[in-house]
Amino acid sequence: MLLMFALSPFLVLGGGALLLMLAEVFSRRPSGLAIGTTIVFITSGAFSVALWLYGIEFLPVGILSPWILVDKFTLFFNVLLCLGGALASLLAGGYLVEYKLNRGEFYSILLFATFGGMMLASAGDFLTLFLGLETMSLGAYALTAFRRASPRSAEGALKYFLLGSFAAAIMLYGIALVYGATGSTDLARVGAAFSHGVVTSHPMALIGLVLIVIGLLFKVSAVPFHMWTPDAYEGAPTPATAYMAVVVKSAAFAMMLRVLLTSFGDAESMSWSAGWPPALAAIAVLTMTVANLIAGRQDSVKRMLAYSSIAHAGYLLVGVVVALRSKEQAAAGVIFYLATYTVSTIGAFGALILLGSYGKEAVSYDDLAGVGKRHPAIAMAFSLFLFSLAGVPPTAGFFGKWFIFRAAMDSGFYWLTILAFINSVIGAYYYLRVLVFMYMREPQPGAAIAVPMQSRHVKAALLLSAVFVLALGLAPTCTLDAAIAAATTFRM
Amino acid sequence: MELAAFFPNNNFSLIGVILALPLIGAFINGVWGARLGKPAVRLMALSSVGLSFIASLFAFCALHRASEALGHGEHQGAARLSWLAWEWMHTNGGQFLQTVPVELKFSIDALSGVMMLVVTGVGFLIHLYATSYMANDPGFARFFAYLNLFVFSMLVLILGDNLPVLFIGWEGVGLCSYLLIGFWFDKTENASAGKKAFIANRIGDFGLLCAMFLLASSTGALDWAGIARGAVSLVNPSEGAQIHIWPIANAHYTGWLQFLQPTHPITITAATAVGLALLLGCTGKSAQLPLYVWLPDAMAGPTPVSALIHAATMVTAGVYLICRLSFVFVLSPAVMALVACIGIATALLAASIALVQNDIKKVLAYSTVSQLGFMFLGVGVGAFVAGFFHVFTHAFFKACLFLGAGSVIHAMHSRVHDDVASQDMRNMGGLRKYMPITFWTFVAATAAIIGFPFTSGFFSKDEILFKAFVNHSVSPYKTELAARGVEVWEAPTWFGPMLYTLGVIAATMTAFYMVRALVLTFFGEFRGWSIGRASEAQHGHDLESAEKAGHVHGHGHVHGSEAHDDLTLPGDAPHESPWAITLPLVVLGAAALFAGVLNMAPFHFEPLGHWLDPVFEQALHGSVELRGGAEHAEALMWPLAGGGVAAFFVGTALAYWVYVMRNGEPAHRLATALPRVYRFLVDKWRVDEFYNATIIATTEALATMANAFDKWVVDGILAKLTALIVAGFGSFLRAFQNGVVNTYAAFMVVGGAAIGWFMIVPHPEVVIKAEGAAQMVEATTGPGYTYRWDADGDGLIDDEQFSDRSKVTVQVEPGAKKTIRLEVKNAFGITRSKEIQIAGPDAPAVQMGLANAAQ
Repeated sequence: MLLMFALSPFLVLGGGALLLMLAEVFSRRPSGLAIGTTIVFITSGAFSVALWLYGIEFLPVGILSPWILVDKFTLFFNVLLCLGGALASLLAGGYLVEYKLNRGEFYSILLFATFGGMMLASAGDFLTLFLGLETMSLGAYALTAFRRASPRSAEGALKYFLLGSFAAAIMLYGIALVYGATGSTDLARVGAAFSHGVVTSHPMALIGLVLIVIGLLFKVSAVPFHMWTPDAYEGAPTPATAYMAVVVKSAAFAMMLRVLLTSFGDAESMSWSAGWPPALAAIAVLTMTVANLIAGRQDSVKRMLAYSSIAHAGYLLVGVVVALRSKEQAAAGVIFYLATYTVSTIGAFGALILLGSYGKEAVSYDDLAGVGKRHPAIAMAFSLFLFSLAGVPPTAGFFGKWFIFRAAMDSGFYWLTILAFINSVIGAYYYLRVLVFMYMREPQPGAAIAVPMQSRHVKAALLLSAVFVLALGLAPTCTLDAAIAAATTFRM
Repeated sequence: MELAAFFPNNNFSLIGVILALPLIGAFINGVWGARLGKPAVRLMALSSVGLSFIASLFAFCALHRASEALGHGEHQGAARLSWLAWEWMHTNGGQFLQTVPVELKFSIDALSGVMMLVVTGVGFLIHLYATSYMANDPGFARFFAYLNLFVFSMLVLILGDNLPVLFIGWEGVGLCSYLLIGFWFDKTENASAGKKAFIANRIGDFGLLCAMFLLASSTGALDWAGIARGAVSLVNPSEGAQIHIWPIANAHYTGWLQFLQPTHPITITAATAVGLALLLGCTGKSAQLPLYVWLPDAMAGPTPVSALIHAATMVTAGVYLICRLSFVFVLSPAVMALVACIGIATALLAASIALVQNDIKKVLAYSTVSQLGFMFLGVGVGAFVAGFFHVFTHAFFKACLFLGAGSVIHAMHSRVHDDVASQDMRNMGGLRKYMPITFWTFVAATAAIIGFPFTSGFFSKDEILFKAFVNHSVSPYKTELAARGVEVWEAPTWFGPMLYTLGVIAATMTAFYMVRALVLTFFGEFRGWSIGRASEAQHGHDLESAEKAGHVHGHGHVHGSEAHDDLTLPGDAPHESPWAITLPLVVLGAAALFAGVLNMAPFHFEPLGHWLDPVFEQALHGSVELRGGAEHAEALMWPLAGGGVAAFFVGTALAYWVYVMRNGEPAHRLATALPRVYRFLVDKWRVDEFYNATIIATTEALATMANAFDKWVVDGILAKLTALIVAGFGSFLRAFQNGVVNTYAAFMVVGGAAIGWFMIVPHPEVVIKAEGAAQMVEATTGPGYTYRWDADGDGLIDDEQFSDRSKVTVQVEPGAKKTIRLEVKNAFGITRSKEIQIAGPDAPAVQMGLANAAQ
């Protein structure tokens, strides 16, 4: 029974998804599905919280190891992914109805993809890890292609699928090489083998490491493995974009932390002159800079947000590099950043959704001209989320950046921190540009203006995100403590 | 009362209720006020402040119990109820990710407890008054949102337990003051009066900020208890602890700037610097010289605002801050003397201007500035209780005077329909008959302000004058500093008597102008009839503008319609105001008469003094000497009170003679005999003109220059250039995002190859550490690395075999150099080598020879 309890977040999500699929067949009111999905997500998240409070040390989780590791890291990510999923399904509840896309499978895919994400965050073995990765990725491909009638959607999804399979194959090959060298797919055992110098006797383990790192970087859409991202994000229906930017990315970072810190966390693999941290640091700088520079040149706000999510991956990679000095601090910073990033990004996409309606979508900057006067409440919420993404206190994003940058400073990565700072400044440019259009521009006479949709679902999602953004900015203590506790998984 | 069980002293969350109620009121009225309708707005505004007052009463009782519990021993500590609302940026989780928490903490002690009651109590009465006064204003909800927000900010200012929280409230009241002065912002002069107040306050805020930084660096704390503990370090006479005035930042001038270099750097103690900076902040907020100019203009706001913000509460914040940080001020007798000088100078200047003003609100405004001067005089001579007592009594009588004036203006306005004319005392007169309640309460408040014996103003003002005469500020660390050869400036012996004499003169002027105002307004015959006719021509226009400006017409329907129907009729007589206006007047008038019993120093009955003693205990410890000893001072108490009484008699008699017996004729004669003096006073000493010509002109010139610089250099060159570069890079990179999936895959391959190359090629890097004469050279690790060395620098590899020997120790003679060689082989059998040049201990280690040789 306790074992069932330990697995309850997974069981609730999987069971809920199946139930909703049945309900969709027999129900004539698919609009209830969004609420149903949200409830399933919240229940699953609530079970994770309950497990946390109950104390994982009292649970018989040993027999699940290493397939599924139920530790605080897993639970934190379960809650985070469920939060992102719940908010995304609320957004979908408004968006799909408005754009006449309201087919029930969206929600099932959402739930199953999140299931995969949770598996990814909890996997302690390359096999379950890969299963989770594929479950999540297939869902994401399907969500991208959800606007069947739109060529952009199909194109984006196909690109995403092609390159995603490419990356999955590369990663799988890396896993195979590591398995061949170490004789194990258990992350911890691989880690032990690496710290005992398996590379010396089996050089192919090093190639395996390289291939796995490439696969991981693809999943977090780091430059130069990012090029599918803008196309897929732009083609996908906006709730799916928000979902991919938040949940898929969070799960990918969970996987990255777990794999790199557990399996490749030995001194030699993490050497500052020859290991993965310097490679990751270079990728981080490249990611931030390229994404921010291109984001500044976009005309579409949705595409700008897509590039912004790539830039945030860069900041997060800076956090991962800190692992060189303190794995725990790195993990805590990244986890907390993901929490702040989740609520801010969902909110920003949600505001963009709410501002448009069928045939009068808010896409480009020009569509947003004068919104501040016409719809002050939505504009204010949008501004709040953009401030948070830019890292302006007292919003959530400020603390996310603060802790990662400070960790980098503490670890002596001054150049990395300075570059990240400069990039934040560039980032502020295009976030504030939205505000300029909303508050200081008037629409061109005769130009099409965005008309907000009427949706309680989206409004609820926005309100929730805004509350979280402010709460994390004003009282980060509780979440931060939880993030620090979750990071103890990587205590040496 | 079992309140203590719910609210322990160290977590007194009732403070949260006191603070939250006005904030909720402000929020609801501000956001939904327009839709709620006037009755709901009125209910919201009144109940939030009223309930806050009731909560404050409970809190005060709890404070009383807490101080009773501490006992009345010799070394009784100050009772304090504190509440830590929330710590921003607080973490308790791990050894990392820590920050310095920002404490949002509030506390009630004897001083803030009294202030809290005054703010919520008087605030409630003025809210009640305003519900009637503003009843016909279109911005009714907005007005009460601002007013509630003001009460909240003021409470934050008073209850804050540290300077940053106080500063939030300090800025908050400044903002509300700005919003309310410019409440009728469609008139330019109102809007600019608001701006003037805000800017003058900003100058003061700069001082307060400086003081905060200085205190944080000198005492290491910003909360009251922490500053009190660290206050000693402010008088540290050592070189490092002094504040360098010149040369700034301890720079050293050479060359042609030599003449700027003084032989000895000019320094002041941190205590003096902090005191001066705080004083600047206090002069801004409390309208003292040189920053008092905003307060008279602030009368552009609605009269309840003048009463609440610009008389009873906000402007006393400076005095409150001096009382709060009294233990810092007393450390520097020079600053104390300066406080007293500013106080008396302001009192005299403002009183002299008030003598000749004809606008009833202007008279009261200058009277407020003058009374604030008295308060500064009090705290400046170390009579903190007396100064604060004057804050307390002034809140009652000045609020009463302003509200009475508002009632008069309200009545006049319904008669003359002109904003300016209805405030001009020359148009009033004889209102005693028409508005008896307003008249009697005005008389009571006037009696208090002019020091009619045994009214509240008599006790508070006379105590200030008495203390000004007998008190002598000295440094509390006089003997200790003298032992270290440091002499602290002290005021000369004639200083106290001089302050006393000037104070009596200011008090005489106070009596004169207040009685003049009383007589002109309420006695004689009503002179407004003629105004009614004179303004007939522009009557319609005036009415319109008056209504737009939002002045209340009381029974507006009657006057409005009558005036429109028949313009030749003079309109009906001024009339008494409704109960919502007269009730606050009666309560405040009664308080103005009788609040003095709380601190009757001449009768040795001083409950307020004893109540406040613990607050000022640290400040008064050894910092005030009584001139001629305690016995002597005691004996002087009644004789010196005589001076105050004489001032009252002379001023009143003179005003009575001029304005009642001679009907203002001597005043006219004097004005015509000395036209230049008269004009000078009417023009308010031309201080505004002086500021315009000097400071404001300079600032504008600087602003023009800065604007040009910003336009041409910053915007024109810097901004455009960087934007161009960034945009250029962006466009360049964007070109690769061409939508072709082959390109995308190609980039992935390139990226993957780069990572692979980086990890598959070995990187020989070394870290060199000096260990005495020897240098330790350590190669950095990498996956599957093995090493071999040429550590002796002979050009030959020491050991042919690669091993995991990653460190070598190298001996280098001082000054000499040696080149050693490292070869690294990784698991793939790829080898890279590096030559390292190692210098002897004297010269710094240099890395050279980055040439890699592949094998």
